[in-house]
Amino acid sequence: MSTILATDTPIPPEKTAGRSELVLKSSEFRKGREASWRDLETLIERVERRGAGALSLEELQRLPILYRAALSSLSVARSIALDRNLLLYLENLALRAFLCVYGPRLDVRAGIGGFFARDLPAAVRGARWHILIAALCVIVGVAAGFLLAVQDESWVSTFVPSGLAGGRGPSSTRADLYDKEIFAPWPGFAASFGVFANVLFSHNTAVGLLAFGLGLAAGVPSAMLMVYQGLTLGSFLALHYSRDLTVDFLGWISIHGVTELTAIVLFAAAGLLIAEQLLFPGRYSRIESLALHGRQAGYIAVGAVLMLFVAAFLEGGCRQLVASTPGRFAIGFATGVFWFGYFGFAGRGADDARA
Amino acid sequence: MTLAHERATEFLEGSRRQQRTIVTPEGVPVTVELADHGERLTAFTIDVVIWFLLTIAVYLPLFFVALRKDAALIALSIVLFIGFVVRNLYFIHFELAWRGATPGKRIVGLRVIDRRGGPLLPSAIVARNLTREVEAFIPLGLLLTWSGTNPNWEHLFVAIWLLFFAALPFVNRDRMRGGDLIGGTMVIALPKRVLSGDLVEREATYVFTAQQLRAYGAFELQVLEELLRRPKSLETSKLLAEVCEKIQHKIGWTAPLPPRDTELFLREFYTAQRAFLEREQLFGKPRADKYEAAQPHA
Repeated sequence: MSTILATDTPIPPEKTAGRSELVLKSSEFRKGREASWRDLETLIERVERRGAGALSLEELQRLPILYRAALSSLSVARSIALDRNLLLYLENLALRAFLCVYGPRLDVRAGIGGFFARDLPAAVRGARWHILIAALCVIVGVAAGFLLAVQDESWVSTFVPSGLAGGRGPSSTRADLYDKEIFAPWPGFAASFGVFANVLFSHNTAVGLLAFGLGLAAGVPSAMLMVYQGLTLGSFLALHYSRDLTVDFLGWISIHGVTELTAIVLFAAAGLLIAEQLLFPGRYSRIESLALHGRQAGYIAVGAVLMLFVAAFLEGGCRQLVASTPGRFAIGFATGVFWFGYFGFAGRGADDARA
Repeated sequence: MTLAHERATEFLEGSRRQQRTIVTPEGVPVTVELADHGERLTAFTIDVVIWFLLTIAVYLPLFFVALRKDAALIALSIVLFIGFVVRNLYFIHFELAWRGATPGKRIVGLRVIDRRGGPLLPSAIVARNLTREVEAFIPLGLLLTWSGTNPNWEHLFVAIWLLFFAALPFVNRDRMRGGDLIGGTMVIALPKRVLSGDLVEREATYVFTAQQLRAYGAFELQVLEELLRRPKSLETSKLLAEVCEKIQHKIGWTAPLPPRDTELFLREFYTAQRAFLEREQLFGKPRADKYEAAQPHA
């Protein structure tokens, strides 16, 4: 036994002459279990290479048992062994087996399906107060913008950046607006897609990201940005109101605006969620709180990006094709009902089932 | 206890990776090594190249149609959209099917795991990858498609946004990017390790006293282990001879030792030393290195 090595008395000479047997506990431990580690390792390698489908039923049943055995080997080795190679190997093996046993079990369709069927609508529902606040900010902005611009149209050029106005302003006549904006002829396939690409990667996306990102600055800028969006819209509304185009203008904007405004509001709501976690972290530190609840905000932002896609499609592809105000209202209304129904009710059953 | 082999790693490899501990659902703490920024960038670059090639492959037939009709705008918007779809399906598909690894991550040896040691949920994977859009791809698209002639506040904001998210992995402890923060994940390095043979000798020719074995601790033992595991070469044998001489001097070994027995002597010293230290550790007297005060022996 190894105990002979521990005595302070020198080893008797007759023993040093011959070759004595050495037995280490950690060595014996390794000998007894190495086969099962190797077995686990080959199973893991196959799963890593070709997925869990590569294993037979019997091997699938063996995997968790071997995994737990490896975990217990690791715990034992940590207390009895000083073999660095062995310790590193067991740590690595246990971790790889852990990732195999607790890996995701869904394919891409089920994963994305679950996101849209459950996670996204649930996240949006969870933020209904934030959405309400953001929407109120827009409404306040619209009212203010409308009231100011109705009295003095120079406000329009103040609120609307020249790049967005596209020549529309106090000097526009009713005919200008009617023919060149609201009922402008369909510019053709190519230009429609141009609008699509342009809208997708332009002002709206930037505003959305801005509203989301400024949540980090306690949310006040997000709310202000919403008010500002409202001001732009309200002053435009006033411009058309003064020229007796209110209904046509609303129809023109509702076809994509319902989706687009909802998306912008969702961005702001996600920003407000982040602001809330920073301002009132509760019993967590601010970073922890952000990490815990950030997922919800992230989901909402992702959903809003996808809504901007839809809005861009409606604006670029459909708006000038549907050249009648009732038709535009119908599409706008339908999209509104769709988003409300989707965010309000999709995956409700799953919520209850999980609760 | 387990610190000894980490210290040995640091000593031998020059630097030690940042480590975190996750606790498996079975209650066993397992050490994970955080991925380096460089490794992640490499993996991401590989993935982006693959994504780009895939997108081109999907897009090529459309491209010729677009050229004929002289409609660059259609081409642009379709390629943007297809790019968007392909890259999201690509990342999400592989991280689901390959348990947290895309081809790029697999080549570099990285894995995505749940930050708290739980199972990696599909929703976390979808979240961390879709966030990449908000984090980088869409702002990047904004900057690239805008005309650079008159920079305004929007350009500035988008540039700051990109810089912020690019800097994020450098300023938090767990090197999380925005998507990791939101998905509750982190990226670890997971190189495969092989189990080499046990260095323990079955029979002892040389015998050491406990006094001699008390000269070193676990750290020195594991450095010696690493030396003995090196592939044989002229350099290694020179090094071993040097180490052997030092050990003999330190433990006061006076018996003659022929040079050809150097390795045998070291292996047996390693065995005896390990047997001694492991036994002491079991009795609650672990010895980390040679500087640790000698335990009073019973």
